[in-house]
Amino acid sequence: MIRRLYLYKDLLLVFIWREFLIRYKQTAIGILWAILQPVSLMLLFSFIFGVVLQTTQKNYSYTLFYFAGVLPWTFFSGAANFAVTSLSCNFNLVTKIYFPREIIPLSGVAINFIDYLIGLLLYFVMLAIYKVPLTWNFLWLLPLLAMLVVYTTSVCLLLAALNVYYRDVKLATTFIIQFLFFATPVIYSIDAVDNRWKMLLFLNPLTFIVENMRRVTIEGRAIVLWQLGLELLGIIVLYIIIYRIFIRIERAFADVI
Amino acid sequence: MLSEPVINFQTVWKKYSKQQVMNSSLREEFVAMITGKKCRQELSEGEFWALKDISFLVNKGECIGLSGPNGSGKSTILKLISNVTYPTKGTIKVKGRVAPLIELGAGMHPDLTGTENIYMNGTILGLSISEIKQKIDDIVLFSGLDDFINVPVKKYSSGMFLRLAFSIAVHSPADIFLFDEVLAVGDEEFQSRCFERIESIREQEGTILVVSHDYTALERICDRIVTIDHGLVVGGEQ
Repeated sequence: MIRRLYLYKDLLLVFIWREFLIRYKQTAIGILWAILQPVSLMLLFSFIFGVVLQTTQKNYSYTLFYFAGVLPWTFFSGAANFAVTSLSCNFNLVTKIYFPREIIPLSGVAINFIDYLIGLLLYFVMLAIYKVPLTWNFLWLLPLLAMLVVYTTSVCLLLAALNVYYRDVKLATTFIIQFLFFATPVIYSIDAVDNRWKMLLFLNPLTFIVENMRRVTIEGRAIVLWQLGLELLGIIVLYIIIYRIFIRIERAFADVI
Repeated sequence: MLSEPVINFQTVWKKYSKQQVMNSSLREEFVAMITGKKCRQELSEGEFWALKDISFLVNKGECIGLSGPNGSGKSTILKLISNVTYPTKGTIKVKGRVAPLIELGAGMHPDLTGTENIYMNGTILGLSISEIKQKIDDIVLFSGLDDFINVPVKKYSSGMFLRLAFSIAVHSPADIFLFDEVLAVGDEEFQSRCFERIESIREQEGTILVVSHDYTALERICDRIVTIDHGLVVGGEQ
């Protein structure tokens, strides 16, 4: 993939830059939108689950707890939502000019990642405000980020390619993303789940990633290595399969779209 | 002039489907992927041949006109050359960088300014960012839009829009240029500049393919004209 994209690296950069410009053109508050969405979700969850329903998840602040979950989730759902229609909406490009088609969904992953990084900065500020002690386990965040990006990319490529053939995918995605939201420990912690259901939830790679992002930053605990190995293997195999399918059916996009 | 073929079509067939939902083609791709066999080459229900057994050669530095009525397969040939789509049967060999001007302004975004769109469209046409930085003054000068270059292109008139698109396109450093019905762009003054530009591309040994149903315009600029009708070469190719 890298070799394929190297020739077109300028095009990818310009695409990212274009999406970034379009996103914040004619907006009043511009880049602030990047943090407005996760912050408002965090406030909402804190209010509903913390104040109204009085649930206690962990022995630390629930604002921190929800923000840690909301950030990777916003990245994933934002990128997936962008990707679904990315190829079918740019049909005037796809049917007229050749370039590696993955550039369009990838630029969506990239701009959502930029937003995510801005959100992460705010997250670090919050960790400092709440005086959370940092440990070396904090460094586990980097492989977790890489896994999140690879998994999100796979999902985006698959959704974008399938939507070229069936517009049902676009309609189904709204529903699937909502479904996945509850299958991902954003508003709960997997620690509170019965062992029978844990294995089922861990089939969703996001469960492992989101849960451990909280664990290594706020709780300062290390990752369980065999779980990491298994999830990593799953994510890589999934990526390879999806990318091969994408390359294969990419040839026909211009005829089908 | 040295006759070195840069585009070589050998018995090229291309089929298209009339159906809206192409579920069969996705299923076929999966079957082909698993069994390792090639996709079905015969026609099935709802499919038709857009190109039938097309063979021709284009030499380096030539200017070829493709003419024929609407739906005869002219644009399909350009799409095959620029690698947007693939032949069902036959082989196509293309040597060199292709500037696909299949339709002007593909990839322009209405909310972006002229300059931003030059970067966008330029990279789509295969220029690198540094090449665009070098050429941006020439592109703006050629388009004659210096007063409007920082205005979002949604505020352009359609003539201005096409002029900008054409200026970007002809500044591409490609070896092969594909023009699809773009000769009717702009006013007379701009048109004559376009013809000059085509001449200068030819002087630099660039290969040009022009698609148009305006036969007289083609005669004015092309070395030879290939006529196509219903996916068949009907004349002009010796």
